[in-house]
Amino acid sequence: MRLRDIFQITEVSAHCDLPCGVYDPAQARIEAESVKMIIKKANESDDPDFRTRAIMIKEQRAELVKHHLWVLWTDYFKPPHFEKYPQLHVLVNEATKLAGASGTKGEFDEAKADELLAKIAEIDKIFWETKQG
Amino acid sequence: MIRPGLARVVGTSMEPTLHEGDLLLVLWGASARVGSLAIVRLPHDEHGAPRPTSIKRVTGVDPSDPQRWWVERDNPSAGVDSWLVGSLPHSAVLARVLLRIPCRRVPFT
Repeated sequence: MRLRDIFQITEVSAHCDLPCGVYDPAQARIEAESVKMIIKKANESDDPDFRTRAIMIKEQRAELVKHHLWVLWTDYFKPPHFEKYPQLHVLVNEATKLAGASGTKGEFDEAKADELLAKIAEIDKIFWETKQG
Repeated sequence: MIRPGLARVVGTSMEPTLHEGDLLLVLWGASARVGSLAIVRLPHDEHGAPRPTSIKRVTGVDPSDPQRWWVERDNPSAGVDSWLVGSLPHSAVLARVLLRIPCRRVPFT
């Protein structure tokens, strides 16, 4: 019998929430506005070098949108928030999909960027409602 | 009553001293010692949700209240400690950590 079988093992946490506790959906919104503007400028340009740079930068910005939304989802929003706003899980999923390969990260569709901004605005509204309570 | 037990580390706030999956020999019910690691109960978070049972380093007594322990994390870039949640009463110390048991680091399941 190994030593660890003799005793029950207790899980002890060496991690917790971020110490700063500062969250704001504005981070995701600003990156999403960058994505939208890059799409607009790339669509207006016929310079292949510019379009190549635009693709690279747009992918970075779209990745940041996903990152900031996931931080809100995993670190800021707590079980009582998800109880009060049952649509929140789906909303974050849809928003991050719009920032992903099937959305603004993979395409040059300004309408997709507007959809993304609208989803972030919905998350932002819920976020500030939770701050009231 | 003081009794020995085992604990498994989850997370990175005690790096580089301890790593995720480390197995520890602890003394449940033993009082804290300055400089030693301890298993502690942290206050609830700002939403009133309980924090998980945690491992921290006892770095001293609270300068403004000698009846309370000041605990810190070894990794300043992760986790919470007394700088965020304040000092802890003696009753919040659940166990003293004696040593890390050298064995395979397996994730807690």
